[in-house]
Amino acid sequence: MKRVLVALLVFMLSISLFAGGSSESSSSDSSGKIKLTFFETMTSPGRTQVLQNLIAEYESLNPNIEIELISPPYEQADNRLSMMLNSNQELDVIEVRDYTQKQFVNNGKLLDLTPYIENWAEKDDFMPVAHEISRNVDDTPYILTSCLYVKALLVRTDILEKYGIPIPTTMDEMYEASKQLAAANPNQFGYALRGKSNTFKISDVLMFGNVGDINTEMCYETNDGKYWLDNENGKKAMEQYLDLYKNGCPADSINWGFNEQINGFISGTTPFLVQDPDVIGSLEGQLDPSLYTVVPLPVGTSGYRYLDYGYNGFAISTTSKHPDEAWAFISWLNGSEKNGEFCKAYGPLPVFQSVYENDDYFSSDKYQAWADELVAEDTIFVKFPIDSEKYPAWAQVQEQGMQAMLMGTVSVDDTIKTFKEYWGY
Amino acid sequence: MRNKWLLVMMIPAFLFVILFLYFPLAKGVVMAFQNYNMFDLTNLHFIGLDNFKAIITDPYTNFWQILWNTLIWLVFSLVFQFLLGFTLALLLKKPFAGRGIYSGLVFYTWALSGFAIGLIWSWLFNGQFGLFNDILIRLSLIETPLGFLSTPKLAMMSVIITNIWYGVPFFGIMLLAALQSVPNELYEASTLDGCGAVKQLFYVTIPYIKPTIVSTILLRTMWIVNYPDIIYAMTNGGPVNSTNILATQMINEVFKQYDYGQGSAFGVVIMVILFIYSVIYLKLTKSSEDSI
Repeated sequence: MKRVLVALLVFMLSISLFAGGSSESSSSDSSGKIKLTFFETMTSPGRTQVLQNLIAEYESLNPNIEIELISPPYEQADNRLSMMLNSNQELDVIEVRDYTQKQFVNNGKLLDLTPYIENWAEKDDFMPVAHEISRNVDDTPYILTSCLYVKALLVRTDILEKYGIPIPTTMDEMYEASKQLAAANPNQFGYALRGKSNTFKISDVLMFGNVGDINTEMCYETNDGKYWLDNENGKKAMEQYLDLYKNGCPADSINWGFNEQINGFISGTTPFLVQDPDVIGSLEGQLDPSLYTVVPLPVGTSGYRYLDYGYNGFAISTTSKHPDEAWAFISWLNGSEKNGEFCKAYGPLPVFQSVYENDDYFSSDKYQAWADELVAEDTIFVKFPIDSEKYPAWAQVQEQGMQAMLMGTVSVDDTIKTFKEYWGY
Repeated sequence: MRNKWLLVMMIPAFLFVILFLYFPLAKGVVMAFQNYNMFDLTNLHFIGLDNFKAIITDPYTNFWQILWNTLIWLVFSLVFQFLLGFTLALLLKKPFAGRGIYSGLVFYTWALSGFAIGLIWSWLFNGQFGLFNDILIRLSLIETPLGFLSTPKLAMMSVIITNIWYGVPFFGIMLLAALQSVPNELYEASTLDGCGAVKQLFYVTIPYIKPTIVSTILLRTMWIVNYPDIIYAMTNGGPVNSTNILATQMINEVFKQYDYGQGSAFGVVIMVILFIYSVIYLKLTKSSEDSI
């Protein structure tokens, strides 16, 4: 008898060991509190802290709500989230970004927010570009856009003054200035080239303006539906880029990622840097703010600057049992007041018109370039083909192709041919 | 009865091992035969060997070059890690003042994370502001900085040097422990028989610690092949695929391209290669043991 009892105990123990946790996922506890789970994906220690503070504030304002924040390390977060969604685990609020929006919608994991947004008090203050991004997939707002990442040109004014070079306003001027700087002194270069890790997000943005007539929905096509890299302007833009690398950038920049770019800028070796607004935070404490300025990305020979935008936002999972409470939370977290606070603490651009107008921080000179750029008439926003099945592998193909071209092992024509074939034109 | 009872008591342990070790492993292998892509999970099905065909024939990431890179990465890292580690162990064998602190310092690198090591060394090797370039220029050995990580041949050499630096302590620790277990009588006897230091090394020390050597080399081989951290942080497999190994390409497939099917196919390739290697290696080392 005793043995049977012990065996039963062992059995129960092993069952509970593996089934453990399933009983605690019930979403409201005995005290009647509603528990929301919130999955953060663009995790960093500082950012998680900001979110935790905001959550604590929300909980004290809404005593019946309890929010559990899940913050896996940045590198695994998107994958973990995909896994959890695909196994239909109960989640309420999730952070979605440009890379994952389409994927989650395709797999039917996000709730349509239309009824909520229609009745939202702040919908008119929410910038048009933010509304557009929310509706990026299937023209349905599956996410509430929260932060924007748009490129601008950072310039080391002290270095330019030293060599008597004016701040460039066109791409050709920036290319020329880079070459001038590099010719002036063997340890001086111009442009902080991004050689690895999503190179195309910067290299291609430099070329768009000199090509012109870019299809805004598919940035590798012109408006007539043709691939542009092999047309006259495209080829010239590619040759200019190669010339810029050879005569205006450190040879080593072929292997430069974000950190090396920043270092080149801080040391003054490369006084031109094209980056997102969160770079301001990275420069803080390392570079005297009076030594640099931010200007809108130079326009190309077409007279326009074509910018792509990165973004992230909040969404409600279809597995949520409390969508109304989840909406109440994200519309508070992503309201104009908290959105400004959040972006200030963390770096990207906020999505409310009123924040740029009323907040001293975002109306300061460093952010002015972005605020101007977002609404300027010569700015055109374009999209990378993130919906395409070719897109995920593109970063690696493009990086290797560009590196080979910059090193001179593959010709410009062959590189263009490879890229054209890759996109199937 | 007693045996049956033992089996029952072991069920939790078995379940644990199956659930957390063999289930994920089997799942990974199964995924290698499915079109498991995060972009469209609504249409999961078996596609036979298509993932393997795709990774081998991919015109943009040259599979054979990746395989060759993996071999170069393994052989040079392993040989130098072993030789330097063994030398280190021999040097640390005899007691001297401060040996404890000294070995602590020497072995410290083993405790660092591979990613952190990659970041530190990528600054040392930096082609613009790096320490090595600075030293070489000051010594007037070069005039303009070398692009250690931006020139294909130098890039492979640089990541291998970093990996050697990281792996030496492992052999040092393991072989030192083995060396300390060699009975002194053997040395005394061999000295009486007229053995010099070199002969002692080859006829006493090495044969005695051979089991440790065999197992550490096997372990280290597996780890080096499966170790993308340093390359990932230093060159991301570039420039132009020149430092891309199977393990880094697997990461690219999974974390950047969201293609779990092809990522798993790379995983299976690594597993099969290591399995064949282990079988042959153990057979060879065993037969030579028998012949002693």
